[in-house]
Amino acid sequence: MGDHFSSPRVFGDPAADIADVFVFPSPDRPGHVVLVLTVFPSATVTSLFSDAITYRFRIRPVTVAAPGAGPGYDVSEDEYTFDFTFAGEGVGGLAQAGRCVTPGGEEVVFRAGEQLTAKSPGLRVFAGARLDPFFIALTGVRETRQLGRLSFKPVDANANDGQNILAIVVDADLAAMLGPGDGPLLAVVGETVTSGGHPVRLEHTARAELKNFIMSDKQFDPVNRDIEIRDLYNSEDPFRLAPYYLDAYRARLNANLAFYDGLDGKTDWPLNDRGEHPLTGFLLADFLVVDISKPFAEGSYLEIDRAVLAGRPHVTCGGRPLNDDIVDLLFTLMVGGVDGPRISDGVDQATQPATRAFPYLHSPNPAPPPLTPPFELPQVPDHAAS
Amino acid sequence: MTRPGDGDRAEPVTTGGTIAVANLHAQVDGLTARVLSALPPTPAAPMSTGEPLVLIDLLILRGHVLGRVADYERAAGLAGRLARGAAGDGQALLARARTRATFHRFAEALADLRAAERLGLGGASLAAQRAEILQATGAHAEAGELHRDAARRRPDFATLGALAVFHAERGELAEAERWFTEARQRYQGTSPFPVASLDYRRGLMWHGQGDRPAASSWFGASLRRVPAYAPALGRLAEIDTARGDHQAAIGRLRPLASSSDDPGHAAALARALAAAGQHSEAGQWHGRAAARYDELARRHPQAFAGHAADFRRRGPSLDPRPCDDGHSPPRRQSFAAAWPYGR
Repeated sequence: MGDHFSSPRVFGDPAADIADVFVFPSPDRPGHVVLVLTVFPSATVTSLFSDAITYRFRIRPVTVAAPGAGPGYDVSEDEYTFDFTFAGEGVGGLAQAGRCVTPGGEEVVFRAGEQLTAKSPGLRVFAGARLDPFFIALTGVRETRQLGRLSFKPVDANANDGQNILAIVVDADLAAMLGPGDGPLLAVVGETVTSGGHPVRLEHTARAELKNFIMSDKQFDPVNRDIEIRDLYNSEDPFRLAPYYLDAYRARLNANLAFYDGLDGKTDWPLNDRGEHPLTGFLLADFLVVDISKPFAEGSYLEIDRAVLAGRPHVTCGGRPLNDDIVDLLFTLMVGGVDGPRISDGVDQATQPATRAFPYLHSPNPAPPPLTPPFELPQVPDHAAS
Repeated sequence: MTRPGDGDRAEPVTTGGTIAVANLHAQVDGLTARVLSALPPTPAAPMSTGEPLVLIDLLILRGHVLGRVADYERAAGLAGRLARGAAGDGQALLARARTRATFHRFAEALADLRAAERLGLGGASLAAQRAEILQATGAHAEAGELHRDAARRRPDFATLGALAVFHAERGELAEAERWFTEARQRYQGTSPFPVASLDYRRGLMWHGQGDRPAASSWFGASLRRVPAYAPALGRLAEIDTARGDHQAAIGRLRPLASSSDDPGHAAALARALAAAGQHSEAGQWHGRAAARYDELARRHPQAFAGHAADFRRRGPSLDPRPCDDGHSPPRRQSFAAAWPYGR
């Protein structure tokens, strides 16, 4: 589920729970880049952003690392951020007030649900409830993970159909905000961080399903079979992982990536002599890489990563466009290798694909799938039936 | 005695309580839809326990925060179904143990925990739940050992808060105060519910000692985090009544008794109204409480029969003294209910 529900620590505050992060060149304004952060899985139209959280996009210039030099990219120490904060109002029909601080320090004040063009040349921001663009054949994925073999139907239903999220959308002339020599490759991460006092990172998110598909299952882990490591990982700086838990992350990913590699009955990603999967280090450095010099292109998710892994030049903008089928692309990479045959989960697009006009995401579903009754309400206590 | 803000290096920054309650409703609704969409499960894809488990925790949380027995019943229904449908899943049994403990079915809850353990489930969550049940059943030595061990292994908000509540329930004030302060300083989340719950339990400790100013202070801190926090509202109304300020008690209890299906609040409102001489309305609330007590005593005898008997024993006299209903499920299930994650 993208990054939905990927951190037990934030279940108590769903407004801190990042669902997905997207980045892509603007399809309607050449030269601009669009950043999208979605939070609060299964939101309703009355859901609100937290007034105790900073919603942040972190952007760093990257270059492709020399072959054999490491996990794929050299990351600059230069960093550009967009910070979004929200007021405590908004309950009882009032739109929630929000504030965006750009990399240049400009403050943009807006109201949730309203599109706003800021004073900065061409900067547009939006925040509010929207239809969740994520799509997945959840039953097929679950069966695949349960049975240990590819179990997707040719055509399946989108389990996320009709669900809403809270979205933050920025459309900016990023190139104009960067320092000299920065770009065109940029690494992008979305984060939720506590506001005020000592800031605590609650979640960071970039590549979809890293935590849910690849990090959550414990049964293959040779080291930690009863430890939920996603909270630990979420608290890390993805641009510089601390050494304390690195071996725990590596053990979990090595084991689970080997499981996925074997789903088609063959090995496309042989482990090295230390038992390390070739994708482990690459994926643990969790950021989306986008080439802002290239035009918008759908289907570009993971293309730059795959090119780096294959040692060839990339050809698209990379990043993550809203309509990309990340479940197919991720399974294809994990199961079949860098250029393996496409694996489909049977759901190829959202029920309402995102548009090509700001803010790109559809208006929220006013009545998400049936809310009540949830299940058989017990007319007798459950011991009568157990 | 420590007051809110004393000795606490930094107040936890948490999401506004009104936003948090609105979002809790939305979260329950959204997850309910997701769980529904996964039904019916197939043999190859049995009911996933992940989202239902979260939903169970959220229902217990909402039941506690807003004083809704119906939410506890929904959680129990889902947990029962999950445990039956996901045979071999220790987490499902742990969830059922939590809901059974909520309704004071402690022996069955402990049996679930033993079964979960046999399935290989271990770790902090299981130990924390066992400690809570042992504490509730008076096995203090064993419960204390589990709490202390958890706090030694992982000294965080959850374990230190549970240790504080353990000492508070035993009237060990200095130890409890120490751990309440420690726990508060280690809070790293943004949900206001765990902090509101911790402050409530601190207030409850002073309430038990008869220190009304200290109790009011911590109950007030709890309500500043979450204005709708039913357990603190109910306790503050008790203090109002004890002070003879019946109108203040009525002001707190009237909306609470309307929104909560915990008969304790309706009964308390009836007593406050009677004490204020508003006998007609008092009679209506008394009748409503009586009917609800009867219903709940039938459905959940372990949790409600004693309270219902106490309520009936007093009859319609509208005795202004508070009933011994402080341990009804929505109010007994406090700290852990507000902090079900990361344990």
